[in-house]
Order: sequence, then C-alpha cells, then structure tokens
Amino acid sequence: MDKFEHKLSLARETSTKLKEAIGQVIVGQSEVVEQTLWGILAGGHVLLEGAPGLGKTLLVRTIAGCLDLQFSRIQFTPDLMPSDVTGTNILVTAADGSRHFQLHKGPIFGQVILADEINRATPKTQSALLEAMQEHACTIAGKRHAMEEPFFVLATENPIEMEGTYPLPEAQLDRFLLKVIVPSPNEDEMTEILNRTTGRERGEPTRVLSREEVLEMRALCRDVAIAEPILRYASRLVRASDPASQGAPEMVRRALRFGAGVRGGQSLVLGAKAVAMLDGRAHVAFSDVQRVAKPVLRHRLIRSFEGEADGITTDQVIASLIESVPTRPEGVEKALSK
Amino acid sequence: MARSDPANADRFRTVFSKWAGRVRRRLALGVVLTGAAAGLALGAGAAAGAWKLRQGAVRPWTAAAGLVGAAAGAIVARRRRWNDTEVALFLDGRLGANEAVATAVDLGQQQEKVAGSAKGAKGESAIERAAAKKAGGASEGAAGEAGSGAAREAGERESDPSENPGYFVVLGQATEALSKATGKQVRTRVLRPWHALVPVAAGAIAYLSWIPLPAAPPGPAVPPGAEQVKLAEVKGLEKVIALAEMNARDEAQRERLKKLAEEARKLQQKLKEGVEKREAQADLAKIKDGLMAERMSLGEGEERAGLETALSKMAENPDLKDAAKALGDRDLTSFDEEMQKLANKMEKEDRERAKKTLEEAAEAAKKAGAGNVAKALEEQKKRLEQQGAQGDALKELAKELGEGLSDEAKEALKDMEKSGSPEAQRKLAEKLDEALKKLTPDERKRLAEKMKKQAGQMDPGEMGEGPSKEELEDLAKKLESEEGMKELEEQLKEMAKESQSGDGQREQGLEDAEKGLGEAEQQLGVPMPGPGQGQGQGDGKQGQGQGQGDGKPGKDGKGGPGNGDGKDSKEPATPGHSDGGGPGDHKGQTGVVDGKGVNARADAKVNKGRPMPGITMGRTQGRAGETANTRGTGALGDAAPSEIGGVDRSVVPEEYREQLGRYFQPK
Repeated sequence: MDKFEHKLSLARETSTKLKEAIGQVIVGQSEVVEQTLWGILAGGHVLLEGAPGLGKTLLVRTIAGCLDLQFSRIQFTPDLMPSDVTGTNILVTAADGSRHFQLHKGPIFGQVILADEINRATPKTQSALLEAMQEHACTIAGKRHAMEEPFFVLATENPIEMEGTYPLPEAQLDRFLLKVIVPSPNEDEMTEILNRTTGRERGEPTRVLSREEVLEMRALCRDVAIAEPILRYASRLVRASDPASQGAPEMVRRALRFGAGVRGGQSLVLGAKAVAMLDGRAHVAFSDVQRVAKPVLRHRLIRSFEGEADGITTDQVIASLIESVPTRPEGVEKALSK
Repeated sequence: MARSDPANADRFRTVFSKWAGRVRRRLALGVVLTGAAAGLALGAGAAAGAWKLRQGAVRPWTAAAGLVGAAAGAIVARRRRWNDTEVALFLDGRLGANEAVATAVDLGQQQEKVAGSAKGAKGESAIERAAAKKAGGASEGAAGEAGSGAAREAGERESDPSENPGYFVVLGQATEALSKATGKQVRTRVLRPWHALVPVAAGAIAYLSWIPLPAAPPGPAVPPGAEQVKLAEVKGLEKVIALAEMNARDEAQRERLKKLAEEARKLQQKLKEGVEKREAQADLAKIKDGLMAERMSLGEGEERAGLETALSKMAENPDLKDAAKALGDRDLTSFDEEMQKLANKMEKEDRERAKKTLEEAAEAAKKAGAGNVAKALEEQKKRLEQQGAQGDALKELAKELGEGLSDEAKEALKDMEKSGSPEAQRKLAEKLDEALKKLTPDERKRLAEKMKKQAGQMDPGEMGEGPSKEELEDLAKKLESEEGMKELEEQLKEMAKESQSGDGQREQGLEDAEKGLGEAEQQLGVPMPGPGQGQGQGDGKQGQGQGQGDGKPGKDGKGGPGNGDGKDSKEPATPGHSDGGGPGDHKGQTGVVDGKGVNARADAKVNKGRPMPGITMGRTQGRAGETANTRGTGALGDAAPSEIGGVDRSVVPEEYREQLGRYFQPK
C-alpha cells in the first residue's frame, strides 16, 4: 500500500477513534464533532454557537482532552482585558536583587484555546485574539511571540442573550474557518446525557492524538488533491454569494448585504479537503464542497435589512446557492440529467 | 498491481481514452442525427414546395439537405466536442466516482504542462520522474511533509502534480472506477424525440418524389374576347356591303345604307388583317344596330304620327286589319304578302273599297307629314289594283280551261280563291303556263272566242266577280295570235315569280344583310344556330372546353340533332338547337329559361342562339321597347311621365323587353 494511501487510511482510523473517544463524553452531536474535527484538521479555528447548556464547553474540553495538546481556557467577560488574554510583562526581582521585566504569558499561549462565551468580551479584548488567530503569533510589548503549533481556537458563543454581549466584528468572524451550530439533543440523546451526568463522574477522555499526529494529519489534509472544475465550483459559490455579482441568485440579492470573500473560498476548499480526507479519499468531490458550505459560509454572509426582516437565515441562502450554482458545465449537466 | 503504482498513469490514460472516445462518439452521433433530422425536415419542406411548384426533378435532391444537415451536425459536434475534463466530469457523475476521474485528468494535464516546459528532462517522462521522486522521498517523515505542505499548496498548480503524494492514489482510484465501469453506465443518450424526424422526413421526401405532380394551375385569365381573330373571307358581310347598291327610300336612307356598307367593308378588312374578337363583335353589333334601326325606320321620328294616323285609317277597314298590323310592325314583307292576299281573294268591289281606304290612309299620312308612309301606301294601292287584275285574269283563264287543267292547278286555284296566298297564285300561274302550252291552236281559238263572247255579255265598267270586260277582251285577243300567246306566257311567267313592293324589297335586302351579319358572327365564334344546324352537347369537363358539332338537317328540312363530340375543341360546350319539331332526332336542347325565376335581371338566363329581331347581342346596350320610352299618341293616349322608361325599369330580362315594349306600344 502506498504511504499516502496508508496515511489516509490511518487518518480515517484515527478520526474514528477520536470521535469514539469524544463520544464517551459527549452524547450525540456527531455532526458538531465531525465539523469541529474538519476545522482542526484543516488548520482553522472553529466558532461554536448554541444555547447555554448544550455542552459546547464540554465538547471543546473533551476534544482538547483527546488531543495531547496544551489546553487553555479563556472565560470571556465584559471586564476581560486584552492583556488578560495575551499576557503581560511583569517586573521581577532576581536573586541578585536586580529587577527586570518578565513575560507572563496569557492563556492564548496554548495549543487548544477555548474562548468561552467570546461575545461577552468587549471588541477590544476580542480583537486581542485577531493576531494570534491569523498569524499564529502574538506581539507583546513590541516583541513577537510565535505560538506553538498546532494552534487553534475553539470559541463558543450564546445567540440568545443579547444584553451585555458584543457581537463579533465581521473581520473577526471571518477568521473562524467554521461556524458550527450546536443543536439541542433529541430525546434519546437527552436521556443518555441525563444518565451520564447524574451518576458517578467519569474519568478524563482517552488521549488519542499526539501533537505530531495532529500536524501530520493537517499536512495530509493539504495534500488532498482538488481538480480545477471543483475549484471553479467553489469560486462560483463564493462569487454567487456576493449580491453585487452577476450570477447571484435572487435570494442572495434580496437577503444579503455582503457575501463571502477570498478567505471564505480558501476555507471552503480547505474544509472540503478535510472532509475528503476523513472520508478516506485523496481528492475532493463536489459533494465535499457542498457539505462544508454551510459551516464555512454561514458566518461570512451579512444579511440585509430585508433579509433579516423576512427572517431569512444564512443557511437558507447557502442552500439556495448550492441549488442554483451548477457544479459541472451545462452540457455535462444536461447529459447527466437525461 | 497496487493502486498507487506509477504504471497506473498509463493504465488510467488507456481506460480513460477508451471511455472518453465512446462518450464523444455517442455525443457526436446525437448531434449529427439532430443535424440530419433538421436537414431532412427542411428537405421535406423543400420537396413539398417543389411538388407544389411542380419542380419534379428537384424533389429527390432535397434529400441532400439531410446530408448537409448531418455534415453541419458533424461540424457542430466537432466544435462542441467535450474536452477531457468535461468527459471526466460526466464519467464521475455516471460512475459516482466522487470526481476521482476529473481530478486525475486535471492532475495529468498539469503534469503534461510541466513535462512540456521541462526542456532538460529529455527522454524521461514526467510519470517516470514522479515515480523516481516518489521512491526517493518515501522515507521522508510526516513532519517534513507537513512543514512543506503550505508551500506546496501555494505552488501546486504550477508545480509538477506528480510531486503530490496523493497523485498516484487519485490515479488509482480513478482507474479503478473506470475499470469497473460498464458501457451501460457511461452511455450518453443518442436518440432524441426529434430524431424521429429522420425516417419521417426521409419518407416524406420519398413519397413527395414518388407521387405525381399536381395539375398545372390555370394561367392568367384572358379577358373575354381578347383573342385575335383573323378571317380571310367573311361572306356574310358581303350582304351588308351590297346595301350600298340597294334602292333607297330617299337620299338620307341611301347615305345611311352606304355608311353601313362602308363599316362592313372596314370590318371585313380588319378581319383579314386580324383583330381582337371583342372589337369585331362590337363592330358587328354596331352594324346590326344600324340595320335594325333602318328596318324600323319607316314611320319613325317625325313620321310617327303620320304612320299611326294611317294605321288608324286602315284599321277602319276590317279587310285591311292584318295588313295594318304588319305595317305597324314595320314588317313590310308581310305587309306585301297581306296586300297580295287581299288582291287575290277580294272581289272587285272590296278591292275598290280597300283602295279607297289606302288612298285615305296615304292622304292622312301625307297630311301628318309622313311622306314615306304615304308613298308606301300609294304603291300598295297600285299593286292592289294591278295584282287584283292579274289574279282575276288567272282565275278566269283557269276556269275557261276547265278540264284542261291538271289536278295541281285545280288545287292551286282553289287555294288561291280561298286564301289568296301569293304562293298559290304563283303555282297557278305556273300550271296555267304549262296548260296553255299543251293547247292546240283550235283549242286556243275556241277559248279566245269563248272569252270574247263572255266579254260581249258584260257592260263596260261593270263591277262584280272576276275580271272586267276589257280584261277579258285583252285576254281573248292574246290567245288568238301567236305573239299574244307569247306575251301571255311571259306574263304568266312573271306572275309565277315573287312580287314585292319597293319597301318590301328594301326590307328583304335589310333582312338578308342581317342574316349575313348573323353568319359573320357565327364565323367569328358567336354561336348562331339556325334551321338545319344543331350544336353538339359536349361531354368534357368544365374549363377544358368542348367544341361545336355539325348539326345535320332533318328529313323535313327542319333542325336535326346536334352531333358534336367536341373533345378537342377549345370552345365551351353549348346547348344544341332544334327547329320545328320535325321527325328528326332532337337530341340538341335549348337552355330552359325558368319564368318563375326572373325576379332579378342579373339572374336571368340568356339563351344563346340567334338573337331575336330587334335585340342586340353585341357589346352595345340593347334597346328596350322604344315606344314606351316616348310619349305616345295612339289609342292608349299619352303616356304619363312616370310611365316613360317603365320597361327599362322592370325586372323583365333584357331580351324580352322589346316584345314587352311592343305589347304596350300605343296603337
């Protein structure tokens, strides 16, 4: 067996193990777990949105526990300061009596960062994450400090409580590879959750992936091939999300103010590659792009007043985009449809 | 062989080419068939058009449109030929290969591009180089690959894709998918509903090429009578030309007759040189109008009142009633006959009374300014006297001959005494001449003496039955001598001939001229059936023309059956004509005029045939009863202003209006 093929197989097995390990703690939410894994393997940050008490924080803690990575948690509050996130230089007295500034690293200097309730902090504090998320580095007192790879932020936010929250700026939202919606558990899942959480406490989840394995899987993800027609399809999807573009569907024109940008396209391709890899394929399919389209694009589409007034969600817009943008050239589509 | 074996690249190409060729061929076939269908459909339309336009030779060639369409389809198919990526996407779609084939093709194309630009790598294929690199790089650690991952991503599409460790895996997956494919899975649809046009249109072209062409459309309608007529000789017109030499009633009539003769001569010349039929017909009609006017000219215009006064006078004598009617009708031939009948059958006293009546009528006519009428009446008076004397002499001579007469002569005598007909008179004169020639000199002498003796018994100027004393003496004298005998024979011969008055002769001449015109019209093409001439009834279809047949005279000299087959003639079939109801076979028939249906003039059916006296069949308007259009002075009194032109306004068909006009003519 080819090494690459072996790696692919291994990645698939590992991801299965990872999901099983997470499943020991998290009941249900398989799609959320899957999508979060896409984000991690694609090398991006993930924003989890859901009502309080759905296990978002637990999920992130579990994932972090399954990965042999340094975990940091930042509980975002309105009074949280940027330095509380990044860290600060403090004056230290040495043994010889001399004094000097020493960097006291903040929680951002971890590998798996849980930014809990990120929308509770002020934009100033939220923006402290920007550099780290984009460049995997942090500048403190004029000195740049690189993050240890792998580095990824898993943020949670609560869509219900609006009072005392600060919606994330578009620029920051764009830095999240995926925005995963955490749904309410169904009856079976709820029953299982109740059963698990009201008995004896269970131990920590099994560590499944080492740091190196994570990095290798990330590299493997980028090696997944993608054909030009699929790249073009991703481009068409992104362009069609711009209400000003010619090929924009009617719903996009009506419900959106701004569409996704280049970063959205990149995220779409990377996400699709992750999907393909976890599916055991060395290449991306159209369906992979369609599968990641919602989590990749939903936080990048800015609704218009009309769209908000009509209650049109970005997921609906993305569904209409997938429906209206053809995957293959017209002639091929016709030949396939007959 | 492992799926990631570099040899998979060649294998993939082989398998892909196989399926791609198949897909492309089927797609091209579909487009070619579409082109052929369109071409054949157009060809069928063209064939239908050619059939309609009677371009028989063009019809089979319209099938070539199918070939042209197919060729055009081939060109379009060539231009729209799917590239490898499109074929790969189609195959992926059909095989459910998750775009493995498309990715493999795409990576292969990139590899080709890189191989093409790698000038230094001579004789070494990109695949081989990739395989070598792969073998060398197999020991590289995952971390190292991960570290170069981002850089490779940035330059992947420009770099050799075979450096991508996943390339061969993709190739293997694509090859595997293609190898498992079946023909049914990757079959593109060739036949479309519109391809049914190919056999249908081809069949239509074949059918249209096979069926006979439609009948030729009728050419542009020639205006009636516009055809040229050229006649070297028109004998009928000679009779009209002869009018110039006829003894005229007066100078004005002579001029009119000369003018008519001149017009006839001109028409004759035109016909010799060739003239439009309608023009010749118009000229004929004009001449005919002139003849008709001339026949009706006695007592017309200013002499009208005189004629009617004279007629009124004549009507006072019951013996002259028929003669008056004939004169009123301007039928001067009949007028002559009536007068001769009167001369033959009247007693002397009656003749004297008639003469007196004629004298009074002539006087009245003269007073009323009708000099021509008066002259005609005076001439008739003289003829009455003269013919009466001749008739008496004939009768007396016949009686004297007694048993010496043949049975025919006796019958003629009886007929003459009874009806006074000129025919009987002529026959009697003829038989008497024959009888006299058979007499011996002694018999003639005895006959002369007998007549003398009879004359001696009579008083001079005695009135009564038979000849006068002077006439008998004259007759006896002639019988006595050879010269007298010869003179008598000459007289009898003259009496055996038809005698006419001056007006009668003119009338006869005009009638002959009119008959001549009829013959000319017949020669010109206007059907003019006459006694002894029937016209065959055609059996051809309408519009294709049937000709005239030659009627044979019946046994009794009357009309016989028409016998036309008319299959080749261009003239339309016309109804035949039979005259007199003789024993002949009357197959010819005259079109029936339904008297109940004459409510509208436009619907009135006009019988073709010889025109009735006084009617014009040419292009000039027919004249309706003229008397009803003028203020009458006869027995009916003056016509009211609203009554003038009443006949013209009536619904009576044109050809009957003259009779109607005569019926209402003031007497």
